[in-house]
Amino acid sequence: MADDMEVEAEREGCGYQKNDKMFTLKKWNLVAMWSWDVECDTCAICRVQVMDACLRCQAENKQDDCVVVWGECNHSFHNCCMTLWVKQNNRCPLCQQDWVVQRIGK
Amino acid sequence: MALLNPGQAKFEVEWPSMRPTVLKLIRQEPVNRREWHDLFWSVHAVCLWDNNGPNKLYQALQEDILEFIRHAQSRVLQYQEDSALLKAYIAEWGKFFTQCDYLPKPFNQLEVSLSKDKENVVKKKGEESIVRKLMLDSWNQSIFSNIKQRLQDSAMKLVRSERNGEAFDSQLVSGVRESYVNLSSDVEDKLKIYRENFEKAYLDALESFYRCEAPQYLEANGVQNYMKYADCKLKEEESRGRRYLETAWGCNSLVVLTDCCVKVLVTDYKETILQECAGMIRHNETDKLRLMFSLMDRVPEGISPMLHDLEAHIVSQGLRDMMESAETITTDSEKYVEQLLELFNKFSALVNKAFIDDPRFLTSRDKAYKSVVNDTSVFKLELPLKNKSIGTKTQPESKCPELLANYCDMLLRKTPLSKKLTSEEVESKLRDVLLVLKYVQNKDVFMRYHKAHLTRRLILDTSADNEKEENMVEWLREVGMPADYVNKLARMFQDVKVSEDLNQEFKDAHRNNNEGIADSINIKILNAGAWARSSDRVSVSLPMELEDYIPQVEEFYRLKHSGRKLQWHHLMSNGIVTFANDIGRFDLEVTTFQMAVLFAWNQRPKSKISYESLRLATELPDAELRRTLWSLVSFPKIKRQVLSCGPEVKSPKDFDDSTQFWANQEFGLIKNGKLQKRGKINLVGRLQLSTEKSKEEDNEGIMQLRILRVQEAIVKIMKMRKKINNAALQTELVEILKNMFLPSKKLIKEQIEWLIDHKYMKRDDENINTFIYMA
Repeated sequence: MADDMEVEAEREGCGYQKNDKMFTLKKWNLVAMWSWDVECDTCAICRVQVMDACLRCQAENKQDDCVVVWGECNHSFHNCCMTLWVKQNNRCPLCQQDWVVQRIGK
Repeated sequence: MALLNPGQAKFEVEWPSMRPTVLKLIRQEPVNRREWHDLFWSVHAVCLWDNNGPNKLYQALQEDILEFIRHAQSRVLQYQEDSALLKAYIAEWGKFFTQCDYLPKPFNQLEVSLSKDKENVVKKKGEESIVRKLMLDSWNQSIFSNIKQRLQDSAMKLVRSERNGEAFDSQLVSGVRESYVNLSSDVEDKLKIYRENFEKAYLDALESFYRCEAPQYLEANGVQNYMKYADCKLKEEESRGRRYLETAWGCNSLVVLTDCCVKVLVTDYKETILQECAGMIRHNETDKLRLMFSLMDRVPEGISPMLHDLEAHIVSQGLRDMMESAETITTDSEKYVEQLLELFNKFSALVNKAFIDDPRFLTSRDKAYKSVVNDTSVFKLELPLKNKSIGTKTQPESKCPELLANYCDMLLRKTPLSKKLTSEEVESKLRDVLLVLKYVQNKDVFMRYHKAHLTRRLILDTSADNEKEENMVEWLREVGMPADYVNKLARMFQDVKVSEDLNQEFKDAHRNNNEGIADSINIKILNAGAWARSSDRVSVSLPMELEDYIPQVEEFYRLKHSGRKLQWHHLMSNGIVTFANDIGRFDLEVTTFQMAVLFAWNQRPKSKISYESLRLATELPDAELRRTLWSLVSFPKIKRQVLSCGPEVKSPKDFDDSTQFWANQEFGLIKNGKLQKRGKINLVGRLQLSTEKSKEEDNEGIMQLRILRVQEAIVKIMKMRKKINNAALQTELVEILKNMFLPSKKLIKEQIEWLIDHKYMKRDDENINTFIYMA
């Protein structure tokens, strides 16, 4: 669109040298989306999508701190939800194996 | 003073010496101090010492009063002519009435004695003294009742002649009224005589006067003049009423008078007057309308036809204006919103000037404006239903919310429009959008489009003013957009900030290493939960110039975070490439898709490449490749295009596999008619950052979300009420959902059926219109 066009007049130096490629990259703005690398995108404890913060964190406006935890069984939950869960029952709510943390998201 | 013997205070003894003073008092002749004092003394003595004294005294007094009144009567009645009679009466009455205040004073003791005889009735406060009552009663019985009809008639005659414009002494009329008010000795209802005679006569006279006058005036001068006449007469009669009618506290004469005036001047001609209303609204005759409003406001049911006329006018005029300019406004959101606002301001001004912002008229304006805004005859938004098995046709909706969102985007993005306006102007226009938005039924459509636009602005960094962006989010909250939606928007802003920090870290980490990656790469890594729509991802095979950077970024991210996976959204990424050709060097702002295409020429700079080869090289879906190529061979408003193609085509649809493309060695920018050797141009332009597929999905998503919202709301209501009938359920449902959209009857019905099928609720066995919640 003509209005979006900014024409800068530069007088000195023109043409391209022999080695130059016709098109060279000057700037690239890359966009990516990240999500937790999980098998099931809903937290089985609080029933909220793992990409969203758990209800407790939503209420306390701590969305950015609400991470995901994976067990040895490869099941994943909100870390806050699981911390509360294991106090009562140290088993994975999905497969009933003993809960051992494999890794915590960051 | 010597003690009195009992015998000395007999009535017969004392009366002769008292009488002259009493007569003087009655006749309003001067009484000296001594006579005045003696009278007190004598009354006291007679009442105390003579057993029969009080009664005798009372009778003697009565005789004298009657005697005086008889004389007065004969003086008054010698006048045959009514106004002379009235004058004489008023004069006599005035004198007598003054004396009514004086004469009772010396007889205080008489009061006490007489009331003692009557079983010690405790004298009520405010009750007339016995002597005063005697005086007034006597006057009333003898003189007033004889001539009251004549007095009243002549008073009314005077009022009538005043109505006809003659002047006279208003004291004459008020005098008669005073007689009525004061002559009443009925304790329970002091104004009874006044009301039954004077007030009634006054109102009858008024009514018959205008019964005759008003139709004549209406006939001769037409409705519009008649309204002025009626208004003027109402005021005139009210002020006259204040002069001639009793205005004491507790007397409602003026109210009765006003009712009567309104009835005879306005109510009886209501239909005729109201017929003019629609025309006046049409011609914007605010002064006349204000007059009509003030008249009709006094009449029962007078306003509602006016409200109806106003609504009809707004709807028809609004739609007509929209229809007339349908062609421009359906495509140009700016024009559309401006036209809507212009209409709104016009109607508001009308309501303000003609109806002084009366709440009833404001409500009508809102109602009518709402139906203009949501009307579907000018343009429709087709919301498809994916679920073909139900076999339903879509219900058309107004395109208004979509256009409003587009307009917002034009104000908030760096556009010719937003550059032209000052910050204050942009803000006031955004406020205008919010104003119209209030009237939009289906706000969910607006939300979805607004969010899509915001996504683009944030990712492409094309916001004109970040502060305004964030203000807008708060304003949306203020106008009552659903909190979860507004929170999502707020979260996008947060996320962008997080990502900016990350980008800085990335640059710092690569500051000192090879290839200048820190300078040429910006990364935005966003939370998929806040932004992503699955269909926005389009696969593309990146040229190696770009592909090489990807692992570096991924590696950096892996070190920072764990448990996360990345998805590249090249549809949204963009950049600048330098194009060097025979003319010079030019910076092109392009999308990544455009880059992918352009870099294909780096391997074979001077060759022609076929459409098919480009598709194999980029792996772009057909539709996207066509759009991308079209933007490079036929970008609007530039004379020399980046790519050339052959054979020439008219639209992107005309490309076929064998169409050849080549880099235009003659490409250059022209400024002021001169070819430039250097320069920069933005080729992203209006190239939409959403795919055709995602657009369709947008609309589908809206329907899907509506279905879920309706189900959710029904369950919420059922859970609370346990048992509810159909009508009540619908009402509550609309109440819950109205901030998002207006659910259609059909949608509600379908969702109820679905919930019944899935055993969330059931119909009552006895009444199929009642639903029961099943936990």
